[in-house]
Amino acid sequence: MTSQAVFVLFNGLASGMAFFLVAAGLTWVFGILKILNLAHGAFFMLGAYISYTIGGAWPGSIWIYLGVAVIAAAAVGALGFLTDQIVLKRLRDVDYHYALIATFGLMLFCEGIAKLIWGADYYAVMPPPELDWPVQIGGTYISVYTLFVIATGLVVFAVLELIMNRTWAGKIMRAVSNDPWMAGTVGINVPMVLMAAVMASFALAGFAGGILVPNQALSPHVGASFILYAFMAVVIGGLGSIRGTFIACILLGIVESANATFMAQYGGIAIFIMLAVFLIWKPNGLFPAQGGH
Amino acid sequence: MLRTDAEKSSLSWSGIVAIVVLVVLLILAPDLLNPGLLFIVGMTLIQSIFALSWNLLFGFTGLASFGHAGFFAIGAYFTGAALRYDFPLPFFVVLAIAGLGGALVALIIGVVALKRLTGIFLAVLTVALTEALSKIISFTPALGEQDGLGSIPRPIIDLGLFQMDLTHVNDYYRFLVVASVLIIAGLWCVVHSRLGRTFCAIREDADRARFVGINVARFRVISFMISGGTAALAGALSAPWTRIVTLDQVNWLASTQPILNSLLGGFTSFWGPIVGSAAFSVISHWTRPFPGMSEVIVGGVLVLVILVAPTGILGLLGKLRRRLTRKGDKA
Repeated sequence: MTSQAVFVLFNGLASGMAFFLVAAGLTWVFGILKILNLAHGAFFMLGAYISYTIGGAWPGSIWIYLGVAVIAAAAVGALGFLTDQIVLKRLRDVDYHYALIATFGLMLFCEGIAKLIWGADYYAVMPPPELDWPVQIGGTYISVYTLFVIATGLVVFAVLELIMNRTWAGKIMRAVSNDPWMAGTVGINVPMVLMAAVMASFALAGFAGGILVPNQALSPHVGASFILYAFMAVVIGGLGSIRGTFIACILLGIVESANATFMAQYGGIAIFIMLAVFLIWKPNGLFPAQGGH
Repeated sequence: MLRTDAEKSSLSWSGIVAIVVLVVLLILAPDLLNPGLLFIVGMTLIQSIFALSWNLLFGFTGLASFGHAGFFAIGAYFTGAALRYDFPLPFFVVLAIAGLGGALVALIIGVVALKRLTGIFLAVLTVALTEALSKIISFTPALGEQDGLGSIPRPIIDLGLFQMDLTHVNDYYRFLVVASVLIIAGLWCVVHSRLGRTFCAIREDADRARFVGINVARFRVISFMISGGTAALAGALSAPWTRIVTLDQVNWLASTQPILNSLLGGFTSFWGPIVGSAAFSVISHWTRPFPGMSEVIVGGVLVLVILVAPTGILGLLGKLRRRLTRKGDKA
């Protein structure tokens, strides 16, 4: 029983951190732009494909694997610049419905592009050799890759929290998010800050794609399966709140993992019950952000 | 929001003539088209009703559902099961239950969530509920799990004095045309009634609507119920037409369809969703041979419409007509 609990805990934490890697960019860009980017999962998927194309199915070492993830982050960040210039920039002052629908269209567009370039087949990528062995914890075997994903999630969370709360860049971003007009009058280049935030969010999606590509089979729909969890986490945690999203991701991961272990015949249903409970109990999320809809 | 055509309360004579000609053509279609094209025309009718149901919510009440396929699936799976397992119910009763079932689910969601949740929360909630429904269906052997519910028979309607045998494609098609015209007429009446004007008032400014004494939450729920019920009816009509209901109809992509059709045709006009459904049928018929291409085109068109022509095809036509008539006045 304890070994099963340990297994559920670690698996849950690992999926929770995987959700967080995807949700972090989503909630960040929402906090600043007030746009819920439905295409975020699709850009995560592009990041995963880019890593697969550069790094291949068998990364030689952990450094190659990390390097590839960084390149994927840069590439998807550059795509973010393009997307911002062509699409998102024009959606800043319109009704949020238009932004939702346009990013929905963008998601379909990216999935179609992925199908055209890489086909609809599934690919498998292995973790690098340094991470591809099991360790024994509490009577059960956990893959080192699982521990690595948990650690990466924690590091990304810590870095985002530090940037938002302790640095000059974070203060500027919060100022722009709270009152763009006032931020402009005190000399902050608001369009530039917004563009930087979008690029950072996309780069996070690309990095998540590179880190998580050994986690599951790669297909054009991999983004859609992750983004659903990311949405749920963002809603449960409070739109725009990184801390809330982080906690919500851990909750979702553990609930999902317990569901899969103890009630396998009804796999994947518990998180919807959890979402419903939170929507009724705390419709604005655990940590409501200011200025959300 | 942009608003031009939707509030015009009456149909012009030329509009009525156009509709009559179109309906006559639709009735004659089985004699004019091959079976493949006839199937597409039938699907376009069903998609038109589905898109109209979505647009009642978005274009008229200002609420966006991103999981409307869930309602469609409720109607389609219920009707499919009723015909397949030969429930002892007349077909009209099956249709009525499907529609009411959709409305009831909308009422439950509305009572629990709609009072507080609009906009982005509603979008995420509707997506999540549709995914949950898809999970539930995939666990239910009677509904075909992953494989879908196949070999659904077409109904024979017993009207007491005589029977309507709809088992033949052409007969069911004509039934579909009549049903679609009736549903569309019903929605037209809703939009142009006092209720429809109340929906528009809420969309324009929910706070002011509240000040003049409109119970905004209640009317949002009513709009959601009519929309959900109509979407379920569209699904109910589709099950005997396609003769198979699958999980592909219960996901994100399926939920995009009414959104795309409404925006493509023009969500500011009552008729926009129908024009959009027809235009989309033509596009998808042409791009069928290229996998991935349809998503690229659909997604690209959606983004382009939002950025360049948020009022859709009908909005563009209206703009063009105004420009032409203005030039005519000058000359």
